[in-house]
Amino acid sequence: MTQSSLRGGPDPVARAAVVSVPARRVERPWLSHSARRLMFGYTLLAPAALYVMLLVAAPFVFSLYLALSDASVGDPVARFVGLDNFRAAWEMDLFWLAFRNSVVFLVVAAVLKSLLGTSLAFLLLQNFRGRKLIRGLVVIPFTLPIAISVLSWKWMYDSQFSVINWVLSRLGLIGQFGTEGWPIWLGDPKLALIACILVNVWRTFPFSAIVLLAGFTSVPVEVLDAAKVDGCSFFQRFRHVVAPMIFPILMIGFLFDTVFTLSDLSVVYLLTQGGPANATKILPVLAYQIGIQAGSLGRGAAIALFLVPLLLPALVLVLRNIKRREW
Amino acid sequence: MAVAQPAVLAAEAAHRRRNRRRHLLIYAALAPYVLIAVFPIYWMLITAFKQDPDLYRMENIPFFFNMKPTLRNFEILFFQTNYGAWLWNTFAISAWVAAITLLTAVPAGYALARLKLPGAENTGIAIFLTYLVPPIILFLPLSRIVAELGLQDSWWSLVVVYPTFTIPFCTWLLMGFFKTVPMEIEEAARVDGCGQAGAFLRVILPISLPGVLTAVIFAFTLSMQDFLYGLAFVSPGDQKPVPVGVPTELIRGDVYYWGSLMGAALLVGLPVAILYNFFLDRFIQGITGGIGK
Repeated sequence: MTQSSLRGGPDPVARAAVVSVPARRVERPWLSHSARRLMFGYTLLAPAALYVMLLVAAPFVFSLYLALSDASVGDPVARFVGLDNFRAAWEMDLFWLAFRNSVVFLVVAAVLKSLLGTSLAFLLLQNFRGRKLIRGLVVIPFTLPIAISVLSWKWMYDSQFSVINWVLSRLGLIGQFGTEGWPIWLGDPKLALIACILVNVWRTFPFSAIVLLAGFTSVPVEVLDAAKVDGCSFFQRFRHVVAPMIFPILMIGFLFDTVFTLSDLSVVYLLTQGGPANATKILPVLAYQIGIQAGSLGRGAAIALFLVPLLLPALVLVLRNIKRREW
Repeated sequence: MAVAQPAVLAAEAAHRRRNRRRHLLIYAALAPYVLIAVFPIYWMLITAFKQDPDLYRMENIPFFFNMKPTLRNFEILFFQTNYGAWLWNTFAISAWVAAITLLTAVPAGYALARLKLPGAENTGIAIFLTYLVPPIILFLPLSRIVAELGLQDSWWSLVVVYPTFTIPFCTWLLMGFFKTVPMEIEEAARVDGCGQAGAFLRVILPISLPGVLTAVIFAFTLSMQDFLYGLAFVSPGDQKPVPVGVPTELIRGDVYYWGSLMGAALLVGLPVAILYNFFLDRFIQGITGGIGK
């Protein structure tokens, strides 16, 4: 009976229901059907939209205001100081060091994780037994909460009991503890930044691999077969069929990673707090230390906002790629 | 027939051999990746159950127990630190965040996906883009807002702040999800006399339960990924969530209780990682806009 009523069959109950709809509309003649739909829609949308506006959009604007004032933790009354905070940051050697470190961090990490991620994705693309299990194991670094996995690295980078050094030393690649040849990963200004970068790479290369994999599997087999029939070689197929099809997804994955890597403070903060000798000072750490620890909200906000020009191209590109998504 | 059979068998055996060799090659190539990915977790696990002297003997091979395993590190954790409170805070924060996220993101996702609002597409994209505004830009102004609300130094501040990234992400996720529910089901409900709200609550919501559950999982796991907000807004030792409390409270100056530290980290990290693992494809789908299926 339900089936025939869904198909609009001659079921008296269904007919009664259809008839009753206009009857209900008559009860509120001042609102048309579409106006009611819109009102219902905006009511549903309002809580989320308000939350995001009040706690993301407004704070963002507020951070611009903070950056233009001399607000500090101790002094709630902020005076407008124009671009002083930006100028002060611009003239600070530490700021430029942090800027340089941030860019080095981003670029080196991106190169390493795309190498590791791409090779892993090609391997996981093969058909073999236990693929699901291996995939599940390999993505653990990305799924583990970041502050927690960094602790493990801090222990592995220990100045004396580092398990990494233990292995390298047994292999004869480095000297004994206490000699020149014993690397102190987090205490040596020459090693600390790369040590932090490696943790970021370890954490995010599975992400790169999985995004790439999702791209590959989104290319329909029929399309590849058609290209094969048309006489395309493996490289032609890759260059002219696969690459253009997976480009948008790759782009978005890459940009997400850029935003997260550039703005992440936890790896460096937990490993070195920016030391030794500022060797690992990156912009987020500097903004945190000046804004919260030194209590200079305005100065801190200005430094954080210097990330915007670095992030903006990424945001615009994400926007363009998402807009191309089919609706 | 009888003559052909050995030939067939030989071909099959050759095929099997080739297949086995291919498998071995793939496993060998994958081994380093698995080792790199899993070793730090293994290292945490074994450290958590080692006796202290076992951690600091360089002449032993450190990859397995050289002395009897112990639960002492967990004893320290539960009886001499605030760990119990952090576990509770973590759970309470995540539950509240999940509730707030559901109450806002489910209706918003539905409205944007189904009700043909003018500008729905752009609104959806705008909400999603706020997910990309990093905490490092928002934490200073938010610290002021948290202080105005009188929530500084309490875990309630994180309940207010975490939805700033869970709502955008989950709204986007649910929007995609609601789009896959066939329009006919909703129309049938309307024909059967359900109003707009009735169709949503009684028909669409129940069949969208998997999507809603996914959103809950993300509200939990994304909350666990935060470190900055917790670090900046909550300083009393008993108010912190685990990912913030462990690295800030269990390390005092130069004294590290590595066994307890690793135990504390794993006890929460591992379940979260496993849970997240099952939903990772959804996460990738979410951020790449559903291109990959």
